[in-house]
Formats: sequence, C-alpha cells, structure tokens
Amino acid sequence: MDGNIALTVISESILTGGSVRLRPVQESDLPHFQRWLADEELRRWMGSVEDQPTMEEESDWYLGRREDPDSVLWTIETSDGVLLGTTELRLSPANRRAEVGISILDGAHWGLGYGTEAMRLVLEYAFDELELNRVELTTDAANDRAIRSYEKCGFTREGMMRRHRIFNGIVGDTLIMSILREEWASK
Amino acid sequence: MTVAPDVRLEGELVRLRSRREEDLALFVSWYNDPDVRHWLHMSEAGEQTVETERQRWELTRQDPARVTFVIETKDGVTIGNVGLIAIDEVHRRAELGVSIGDKAYWSQGYGADAIRTLLRFAFETLDLRRIELITDADNARGIRCYEKCGFVREGVLRAHRLRYGNPLDMLIMAVLSEESGLK
Repeated sequence: MDGNIALTVISESILTGGSVRLRPVQESDLPHFQRWLADEELRRWMGSVEDQPTMEEESDWYLGRREDPDSVLWTIETSDGVLLGTTELRLSPANRRAEVGISILDGAHWGLGYGTEAMRLVLEYAFDELELNRVELTTDAANDRAIRSYEKCGFTREGMMRRHRIFNGIVGDTLIMSILREEWASK
Repeated sequence: MTVAPDVRLEGELVRLRSRREEDLALFVSWYNDPDVRHWLHMSEAGEQTVETERQRWELTRQDPARVTFVIETKDGVTIGNVGLIAIDEVHRRAELGVSIGDKAYWSQGYGADAIRTLLRFAFETLDLRRIELITDADNARGIRCYEKCGFVREGVLRAHRLRYGNPLDMLIMAVLSEESGLK
C-alpha cells in the first residue's frame, strides 16, 4: 500500500454519519480549536498539549499535518455544521496499521455520543477503504469516559504504559488499546 | 538533543561511540544479512546499499529527538548500534533501539552491556524517567536480554507489524528510572 496514494484519496474524503460529519480541516477552523484549548481539563486528557497553543503554534500544527503524507486529519462537525473537534489517522502503510486520535474540543458537547459516532466512521474508513489490519490508540488511563467510548467501538485493552505521561507535574499511566480488522468485520 | 561527536560511554564489555562515515559499509552488510534483518523493521524493506544507509544516517542526524551510538568491543571491533528515539523532554521518556549486527557477538552479553550503558546515560545524563521498547513477541533471545536489563512487560500489541507480509504481535516493555537500579 502506498501512503501517498492513500492520502490523495482521503484528503478529499467526507465521511457522513447519522449525527456527525467528518470533513477536511479548513484554516478558518483553527481559531476555534485554539480557543477551546484554553480548557485545562481538555488539555489534560489530550496528553500532548501542555499549554494553550498560540495561533501561530496552532497554524504550524495544521501545516505540519497537511504536509505529512502519513497523516489524515478531519474536522468533526454536527450534521448541521456545528464544529465539535478533530480526528486523525496516522498511518504506517508498511505495517497496514494506523494510530487514531480524536478530540471533541468543545466541552459543551461531551458525553453526547458524537465522539463514538465519529470514531466508528474513522474505523469504517480505515478497515473498509484503506484495508488496514490494525487501528490503535493511546489514552490517559484515568480517562474513563473516553475508554468507555473506545470499548463501545470495539477497542480492546492491550497494555498499560506505566508513568508514561506528566501533566502539571503529575505523573500518570497511559493505556494502549487496539481493534483488529477481523474484530471490526464481526461487529 | 545534541550529543557532542566525541562523547564515549564506557561499559564493562563495550564502549559506545558516535557514528563515522566509514561505518556505513559495515552497517549495510549487517542489514543485508537475513538473520539480522529478521528481527528488524527493515525485514520488509528491499536490499540496503551504502546510499540508502547514508540517506537514513543523514535523516537521523537531523532529528533532535534522537541519539545514536555505535557499539564496539573494548578491543575496538564494531559490532552493532544502540540509540534512543522519540526523546520527549516534557514527559521525560524515550524509546530504545538496539541491534548487534555482527552475529559472532550474539548471546554473549554485549547487547545487555550496551543497553545498560545507554540506560545509565539516559537516566543520569539526560534525566529521563522511562525508557520503552517494542520487540517481536517471538524474539525470545531479545526479550530475555531486555528483562536482564530491567525491562518489564507492559502489553502485547496484536498484529502490530508485518514480517514477510504476515501480521505479527509485538511486545511493549519499559524500564523506569526508579526500578533500574542505575539511579
């Protein structure tokens, strides 16, 4: 499988579900993302964002992803076009595998099932279109709400990376989860 | 992360030194050995040449989140590579990669000594707290060596890579600074 060919296909892809839609990120989304990242609880669960980024940092993040042939990034929005967050597949084409990341950035929309539905759209794409063998993710081991959502989508717990993350000086564990092609197919 | 080119780390059996241009041909001969490649991610890659190795070297040299050392015996025989990748200074962790390319030096403690020497550098000099690695789940010799160096099994990553086109499970292991006995 060729990562570059995959990207050409996917970067144009709009995935539509019952209540959410995944579409390519636009520059006009970035100020919203940047503003939401002021929320410390959100940043804690993301694990990779210590401080609220500046607009310049947010823009650098977006441009970096856009130039990376192994990154597929979508904006998640409601069917009515209300912005909710982002989701990304980071491909390892040689191993037919990807890591998925997902964030409902707007805390007002947490717990309503949008993330779960968006994840199912990404998995459908990863297995049915890209024909991957494995999709994996890592999450803060204390993030019960996210873990419940991932299990609903069919992810299995594989391992606990001890003392893997630090946020505001507090050390925590990271859970690694995955779903395999045959598990998705049998759902 | 910049490590001065003249940094040398002394172990009991081995010394870790920086790479030199003249190492490349030797590396290529190792990576084209099917027994060596079998356990490496490049089991899926094509034949390696000095040119492909030079390109990889240039890329890795530019990566600030990486330190790479050549393993040589105390007699000065170059036998392998060991290094840290994805060094994360916020979370104070990194991934370890190691290979003894010269098969004549397998199973005699050279790899373990190289790993311990690098762990000491990682925990004491770089002030990291967690070093992790992933390895083929059927790499019994490698896993034994990592356990000897203090690595603990944390999980099995199912179908994590392809080897000769077939999905293969990998083991994730890690050692923490406080359990390493090195710091």
